[in-house]
Amino acid sequence: MKSWRRFWRNRIEFYPAFSIFIWYAVGSVLSSLRVQNRPGIVTLGLITIPVVVVFIIAVRRAWRELPAGS
Amino acid sequence: MQSHSLYVSADPSFDRKFAFITYGLLILLIVFFTYLHHGRPDVLQVPDNANISAWKNPSLEQTNIYDRMTGTERAQVREKGVPGTGILPVLFDSQGDLTAFIFAILCFIHARKHYGFWMASCFLIGSFVFTGLQESIAILLGRFTAGQAYAAAEQVTHGTYFFTKGVLWFIETPVAVCLSWFWIAYACVFTAGKVFPRMGVLGRATIGGLTAMIIDLWLDPVATSPEFMMWLWAKGDLIRVLGINHSNFVGWFLLIFLFAILWEWMPALVRKWGRAKATIAFFGIVLLTDVAMLIFLVVYNTYFVRNVLHLFGVSELQIPPGW
Repeated sequence: MKSWRRFWRNRIEFYPAFSIFIWYAVGSVLSSLRVQNRPGIVTLGLITIPVVVVFIIAVRRAWRELPAGS
Repeated sequence: MQSHSLYVSADPSFDRKFAFITYGLLILLIVFFTYLHHGRPDVLQVPDNANISAWKNPSLEQTNIYDRMTGTERAQVREKGVPGTGILPVLFDSQGDLTAFIFAILCFIHARKHYGFWMASCFLIGSFVFTGLQESIAILLGRFTAGQAYAAAEQVTHGTYFFTKGVLWFIETPVAVCLSWFWIAYACVFTAGKVFPRMGVLGRATIGGLTAMIIDLWLDPVATSPEFMMWLWAKGDLIRVLGINHSNFVGWFLLIFLFAILWEWMPALVRKWGRAKATIAFFGIVLLTDVAMLIFLVVYNTYFVRNVLHLFGVSELQIPPGW
C-alpha cells in the first residue's frame, strides 16, 4: 500500500516510460496481432526486446531515485 | 538528459510572451492547414481516402504496399477505401490524435518539472516544427514534382509518401505524428540519460535515436500493413527494410539524434546570449538543420546508396529477402 502511495505521489517521474509502454503495447503488440497477411510480423517484435529492457531499467532507476520518505 | 544541468528557471514575463507568440502561431497554422486539408483538399492535392483509384503521385500501384497486398485486399481497398478512417479510430488509434495529445501532455508535464517551462516548450514546439516541416516537405515534393513519386522509372532513389489519417494537420503531416515525434523523442532521450547517466550528449542522443528507431522497426511494418494503411510509401528506394524504405529508419534516428543535441545546447545559448536571443537562435538553427537534413537525405539516397550497392554488384536490396 505504501508503495502505491509513493508511486502515486511521484507519478510524474514515470510519465515518459508509461507513455512508451502503453503506446508500444497498443501500437505494436496488439496491432501486430491484427495483421493478417504478413507471417512473422508478431515474431518481429523480438527485435524490440533491448528497448523494453532499457525502459524497465529506467523505471527501476527512477523508483530508486525517488526522494526518501516521499 | 541530465536535468540538474539543463534546468532553466522560470522568467514569468518572458515566458508569457514566448508562450503567447509560439503557441499562438502554432495553433493558427494548425487551424489553417486543417481547414486546407479537409475543407479545400484540391489546393494541396490531398489523396481521397474513399477514392483510391484517383490517387496520383503516387498511385496505389506505385506504393510499396501494393506489392504486399493480395488481389482480394487490393479489390477491397479500391471498393471500400482506406480502412479505419472513421472518427473513433482516427482519434483513439495508437497513432490517433487524442492518444498522441494525452502522451504529449504527460511528457510535457515531466519535461516542465525537470527542465522548466521554457525548455519544455522549446522541446515541444521545436520538435513539432522540426519533424512536421521535414515530413511535409518530403510529402509535397513528391506530390507536386512527381520526380520522387515516379522514382523507379526516373531512377531516383528517394521515394515520397503520405499520411492517410488525422483530424488536425500541420501542413500535410497529421498533428498526431508531430506530437508523437515530440513525446517519443523526449521519452527515449530522457530514458537514455537515466540508464546511461555518465554518457555525454552525443551518447545520449545516439542511444535515444536508436531506441526510437528500434521501436519503429516493429511499429511501421504494422502501421503500413493493409489492415491499417496509416501511411504509404512510393516505390523507388533501393534498400527496403521490412517492406519499408530504409531512409525512413535513417530519418527516425537522425531527427531524434540531431534534435536532442540542438536542445541540450540551449542552456549554454541562454548563458551566452540571454533567453530572447537564444530562442531566436534555437528556432533558426532548427530550421537550418531541417534544410540541411533534407539535402543530406536526397544526396544520400540518390548517390551514396546507389554507389554502395553498385560496389557490391547489386541494384536493389530487400532485408530480409522475400519480406
